[in-house]
Amino acid sequence: MLREIAEMLQFEFMQRALIAGVIVGFICPLIGIFLVVRRLSLIAEALSHVSLSGVATGLFLQKEWGWLVGIHPVYVGMLFSVIGSLFVEKMRKLYHSYQELALPILLSGGMGIGVVLISAAGGFNADVAGYLFGSIVAVKEEQLTTVAMIGIMVSLFVFVFYKQLFSLSFDEENAILTGIPHRVVNLVFIVMVGLVISSAIQVVGILLVSSLITLPVAVSLQIANSFRQAIIYAIIFAEIAVLIGFFAAYSLNLASGGAIVLVSVLIWLMVVMFKRIRLIFNRKGFRRE
Amino acid sequence: MSQPAIRLEDVSFAYEKEKVLEDISLTVDRGEFLGIIGPNGSGKSTLVKLILHLLKPQKGKIEVFGESIEFLKDRSVIGYVSQKANTFQRGFPATVREVVASGLYGKLGLFRWMRKQDWEKVDQAIEQVGLTSLAHRNMGKLSGGQQQRAFIARALVSDPQLLILDEPTVGVDAKSQEQLYELLTHLHQQKQLTLLLVTHDIYSILSVVDRMACLNKRLLFYGTIDEFAKHDQEILSQLFGEGHGTLSITLSKGQKQLV
Repeated sequence: MLREIAEMLQFEFMQRALIAGVIVGFICPLIGIFLVVRRLSLIAEALSHVSLSGVATGLFLQKEWGWLVGIHPVYVGMLFSVIGSLFVEKMRKLYHSYQELALPILLSGGMGIGVVLISAAGGFNADVAGYLFGSIVAVKEEQLTTVAMIGIMVSLFVFVFYKQLFSLSFDEENAILTGIPHRVVNLVFIVMVGLVISSAIQVVGILLVSSLITLPVAVSLQIANSFRQAIIYAIIFAEIAVLIGFFAAYSLNLASGGAIVLVSVLIWLMVVMFKRIRLIFNRKGFRRE
Repeated sequence: MSQPAIRLEDVSFAYEKEKVLEDISLTVDRGEFLGIIGPNGSGKSTLVKLILHLLKPQKGKIEVFGESIEFLKDRSVIGYVSQKANTFQRGFPATVREVVASGLYGKLGLFRWMRKQDWEKVDQAIEQVGLTSLAHRNMGKLSGGQQQRAFIARALVSDPQLLILDEPTVGVDAKSQEQLYELLTHLHQQKQLTLLLVTHDIYSILSVVDRMACLNKRLLFYGTIDEFAKHDQEILSQLFGEGHGTLSITLSKGQKQLV
């Protein structure tokens, strides 16, 4: 097993893939926890579909104008995702009492544009499948640098704005009252969400990206007592999923994105079952007394 | 001369065309405990939101500690416990200590972390409301009354001079309600805190407040409990409509009691 891992890590593309996976496994739950507790976890889903329309636009432009080949479709996806995130913030204000309404609009809009442009760009091929389901081993050095930069930016943002993010998530009205600059923090936050999603797309793909953002948090909410714990547990679970999924995909020749998400689901199942069993045992204990 | 804690002058407010508050003028002195009562939809919560500057009046002036509310620099002079506090998400992963600490975050500003003395303040506020033994407990695992206390601690932690509570007893059992009023009386006396308590539950606040304001779009009564007792039937029927039941109040020396 260890020899297999060592052998695999001799390849440079595997090293890059692993580093990208670990970074994404760190920032996804770090941002995801705030999305989940604010009941905005669907934002991840919506923005990933907007990224799809961006990636499709990139592919389409490449086909129509050959000189655009230098611009990787992932970057166009990133641009779309950030613009989409600004749109979410705008919509949140427009539909004050139906804040989640922005999400299905974005989701279907993004998907629609994506599908139309993909077919115009030559239909569904292996490239497109890579964007949809992730192809971690295809991460180029330049992309890894981008992912790393986004990783540093997002981590710094959460570190510096932790107090403000916590207040806004727990009780937005009170946060505003106590003088927290909510507009700025919300805006920067949502842009960070856009960036995290576009960087995670390379690891798990557009269709699976929101799972890496929400699943580890879903597990951590089952057992965390404090907010700090919730963040730390979510990161630990995400990293476990990334590492196990990654190595399993290599040794069993599976799709890496799918494997990572499946491990996340397994962890979630195990924790929920463990909680259930503990509850039953506790009850039995009471009866005996 | 010290400025009053709150001064409202001819304040009117309407949501689109629906008038909610008309020509409200009142003054709350420093260190006073004012109860605002009124039926549902009487504009009580709107009045609070105006004082907190969450809404802007169409007409009139609002001052807090002598400063116009629009230009109030130090927001931390006002502590606020909202009605919504009862309905927060029970699954939110946060301990009492984390929630109370968030009351300081606005005051601390962007680039300052919680220091040792800040955490001491948090622990003091938790002690004041009697939750020390539950400080590290998850908020969702507390009872309604305990949660309400935690929210009071969050409002107290930034050392406000004015504490505003909007229907704090909704969804709280009778015993916790009693304890809550005890706590408020204690804070009022010990810390000379100016208190503004909004409620539709007239019966329980008579014994704790200094003055009363009865609100139903307009200010129907504003005065001391003694003055209220003289005209209570009249005011209550204006406030809640005829046949509000018989409420009689007897006042003995310094003791306000409900019979």
